Amino acid sequence: MPKRTLDRLPLRWTLLDKLEAIARFLWPARLRGATGWLFITPALLLVGVLLIGLGYMIEYSLHELDLSTYRLKDAYTLDNYVFLVEQPVYLRVLLRTLLAATLVTAMTLFLAFPYAYLMVRTPSSALRKFLLVSLFLPFFIGQVVRAYGWLIILGKEGIINTVLLKMGLPALDLIYNYGAVVFGLVQYMLPFAVLLIVPAITAIGEDIELAAESLGANWLRAFWHVVLPMARPGLVGAGVVVFTLSMTDFAMPEILGGGTTDFIASAIYDSFFQLSNSGLGAALSIVLVTLGSILVAIVFRLTGAGTLSIRQ
Amino acid sequence: MSLIPSKKWVLWSLVSFSLVTLSLPTIIIIGASFTSGDIIQFPPDGFSLRWYERLWELDDFKDAFLRTFQVSLICTVVAIPVGTLAALATVRYRMRFQQTIQVYLLLPFTIPLVVSGIAMMILFGEIRILGQLWPVGIALCLINLPFMIWSVSSTVNGLDPELENAAHSCGAPPVQTFFAVTLPAVMPGIITGALLMFILAFNEFLVSLFLTDARTVTLPVQIYNSIRSVITPDLAAVSVVYILVALLAVWLLDRLVGLDIFLKSR
Repeated sequence: MPKRTLDRLPLRWTLLDKLEAIARFLWPARLRGATGWLFITPALLLVGVLLIGLGYMIEYSLHELDLSTYRLKDAYTLDNYVFLVEQPVYLRVLLRTLLAATLVTAMTLFLAFPYAYLMVRTPSSALRKFLLVSLFLPFFIGQVVRAYGWLIILGKEGIINTVLLKMGLPALDLIYNYGAVVFGLVQYMLPFAVLLIVPAITAIGEDIELAAESLGANWLRAFWHVVLPMARPGLVGAGVVVFTLSMTDFAMPEILGGGTTDFIASAIYDSFFQLSNSGLGAALSIVLVTLGSILVAIVFRLTGAGTLSIRQ
Repeated sequence: MSLIPSKKWVLWSLVSFSLVTLSLPTIIIIGASFTSGDIIQFPPDGFSLRWYERLWELDDFKDAFLRTFQVSLICTVVAIPVGTLAALATVRYRMRFQQTIQVYLLLPFTIPLVVSGIAMMILFGEIRILGQLWPVGIALCLINLPFMIWSVSSTVNGLDPELENAAHSCGAPPVQTFFAVTLPAVMPGIITGALLMFILAFNEFLVSLFLTDARTVTLPVQIYNSIRSVITPDLAAVSVVYILVALLAVWLLDRLVGLDIFLKSR
């Protein structure tokens, strides 16, 4: 009789029992307290790949290029870093990049905030869905394809210029300049910024805004004194992400800048693949990583991690 | 929300500008891909499907598409267990060095992609796996891993720990509790994360640029390489493939978990 019931046990149960036994064997109860570590280890190992790669990068950056063989010399030296400091061109590229990143961050936040605000506050669910889809679609289409789209619109023989010519007007240089790169970056960063600002706006009760307005603040003042300060975690998070992403971008300066507006990423790429000087490129990479980390650390120290923290 | 007219006007003019910049490239690409002329111009020469026919004959792009699909699949399959477990660990379990681990797990975001890409190119070159396809998938999983962890951890936050305790006290052993209680509860986060991972790997460009060669080139890199020369409509037809895939992803995301999930406060 008991045998028959055992036969009728569903396969799932038997399988699950086996699994439990295996789990007990591999991870006995006394290790239960360390389960967190068991769960996190794969992620730690995966990110470790990046760290090892960075280790190689640091090692490369400490060797000078031997111009007779085009390989790195064996001796350790800081010459690559000295070279970066001594060559004014790298400082120029750095400043150009930082200025662009600042402009992009300011413009993106300026556009992203109303977008996020309207998306959260609108009573119409159809409008909300439309705004969400319009945001996700470009986000999912990818940078290269979007840059290509802008190339068709703004290019030398692009749509705007052909229309201008047909109307007998002179063609405009809309592309391969600083402005095109900044514009390209703004539209590329917009979805990131909106998605990071949205949770912060959701967290602000609409009644608080209404209270401010009913106490006599006009909407601009309510915005400035109530909504913006309360949305600060989202703005900081979005600002940091937009700034670091645009500071290190490669595709927009290449495609929409056409080589006229080199950013740091382009300089790193060129050191590796045009100059074949991996030592110099590695040194430039290390400088970029250090600079980015310092900037992020300062912002977080001043304002907190905002919406960026994993643990809420 | 009853809007004051001036507020409504300011909001809408800014949002309309954003909407145009977000959507214009997509619309133009779709339009350009149907032209019957040899070059892209406005107004277009006429309607035809010839560039799609040509696309079907371009084996380069077809192969690159299949490779990209493969790479994205590898990326997603690796990301699901790794990211889910990491999210559970960081939110659910008390661990020492919690702060350090968080900073460490965010490294893929804090290290610029151009640096990550070259660093992995150097590493993969040293251990002689450069030029294969699977390391590209692993690399793309690595650089986007925080997205997966974020998606899952936001649902873990909403999961009541008492549910797991209840399962325990009803006699469910740990593995059963995990599969019957924990996993279903965080499923929306896993689905969101997996979709994000797939689509981001599908259009990832910079890291793929460093890790692929002529034999393993993926579609975004192939498009980038072709942009350099003259702008012809065949590239627009390829780009439409991306638009369709993105549409499919948005639709799936909305059907499976609802786009509104991104509007929650955290």
